[in-house]
Amino acid sequence: MIRDEHTGPVVWTGIIGVTCLLLVLLEHMLWLVLPFIFGTMMYYMLLEPKQRLLRAGFSRDVATVLACALFFGTLALLALAVLSWTSAPGDDDNWRDSIGLYLDGGVAFVRNTMALLETKFPLLAEMRLTSVVNRYVQAYIDNFAQRYLASILVTVAGWLPSLLLAPFLAFFFLRDGLHFKKFLARAVPNAYFEHTLFLLHQVDQTARRYFEGLLKLTVLDTIVLGFGLWVIGVSSPLLLGFISAVLAWVPFVGSVVGCVMVVIVAATDAPSNPLVAYGAIVVFILARLLDDFVFMPLTLGRSLQIHPLVTVLMIFVGGTLSGVAGLMLVLPLLGVVMVVGETLGRLVTHPRLRARHRYARQLRDKQASADLKV
Amino acid sequence: MKSPTLSPRQHRLHGASLFRSLKPLELKFVDGLMHERRYLKDEIIFDEGEEGQALYLVMSGRVQLSRGPEGSLRLQTELGPGSFFGDLALLDNSPRSAQARALDACEMAVFFRDDFLALMETDAVIGYKISLALARHIGQRLRFQLDGHAQLEAL
Repeated sequence: MIRDEHTGPVVWTGIIGVTCLLLVLLEHMLWLVLPFIFGTMMYYMLLEPKQRLLRAGFSRDVATVLACALFFGTLALLALAVLSWTSAPGDDDNWRDSIGLYLDGGVAFVRNTMALLETKFPLLAEMRLTSVVNRYVQAYIDNFAQRYLASILVTVAGWLPSLLLAPFLAFFFLRDGLHFKKFLARAVPNAYFEHTLFLLHQVDQTARRYFEGLLKLTVLDTIVLGFGLWVIGVSSPLLLGFISAVLAWVPFVGSVVGCVMVVIVAATDAPSNPLVAYGAIVVFILARLLDDFVFMPLTLGRSLQIHPLVTVLMIFVGGTLSGVAGLMLVLPLLGVVMVVGETLGRLVTHPRLRARHRYARQLRDKQASADLKV
Repeated sequence: MKSPTLSPRQHRLHGASLFRSLKPLELKFVDGLMHERRYLKDEIIFDEGEEGQALYLVMSGRVQLSRGPEGSLRLQTELGPGSFFGDLALLDNSPRSAQARALDACEMAVFFRDDFLALMETDAVIGYKISLALARHIGQRLRFQLDGHAQLEAL
């Protein structure tokens, strides 16, 4: 039946077109899209505990509140544990010292690299590359607080309320998700009812598979990066791998930030041996290549049941159309639009279902006007 | 945990053989998964040959199940409140073996297959009770068939 039929090129063109259109639209609503994504991730993580609490006899509201309280309580405790583990009591300057240490390590790495380049390429020495870069770095450090800190703080302050939406969204998804699904299904005519239930289920499964794929990808990235960094002798390789893998949830920008972080740590760990930092860059690039061209199509692409070639092509299309937001959103969006498009394409062209719907409408009209004969 | 009080709808669900063995709390949980549909007299609920996605439980009204080509002598049966049909759809992807049509204005409780399968995975006790009721129902039908009575509810 409907499910096993192959989708034609017209429907697929529509799917790609709608995905591109949505990408362009969503780029302008990123303040809502990001909390929505994080909220959905939390929803899928908390759904099972909430169901258990429901089956244990708690009401829907109490089960939702308890599941959220447990989750966010555990997160807060973890954060507190990490904070107390990384800073000794009474040692308030620990964080500042560490940040200063790593920044100095990073700056020293840039200077050493420039000096090395000048010795290898005399043309760069003639251009006084080191002094130019030093001047830029010094100017950047000197003016950082005045020129950049304010804008960074404003950006963070602007994003914070929007990101705080994520737990609220997760809470309401958990509490009212099933009601919303029933509400949507109620609005559907009887003829299309079963197929709509199937469609809603497929959309739900697609989103769930995507976020599960994302978690698998994070684990794979953490292992590959951690292993690579451990081989070249960088400290805390697994932690660095994990942070970089989480940052990579935001394609491109996240990867760049992750790479800078890894290089800074590597340069600070071995200030006298720049090869460690260069090795970290190589490891990072290899891990990213593996991630973009092997792991991502295999985990996220497979989880969405999209052909790996289409996955890679659509990542490029997403980046071209909507930049960072496009890179991040193109796969889940394509997965959902694909399911909705394929199902709707088959439903609206199904002659029997359309005939049954027309017949039901006639019955309703007849019933409504039964006692209105002139 | 205090045993919850059942709504009139849940009382009617509890009256159906499919859910009779469920405790109030379990019934409430299952009810949360079910959809409500209303059909007018003569409206088609599903067609013969259509892929089944759900089980239907008659809450009020009567439903006619009929099989065979239109116009010829069709095998027919009639179901009333508390009966359910479309149960094979819960177990496999096979096409509906008969057409279901409302004989009166009907109210149905609908159990979607994937919700049922998810319930089987997450709650073995509820899943076991419903599966046992389904197995008994199918067994009863088989006995009827062996006795030479035609039964159509196996949709």
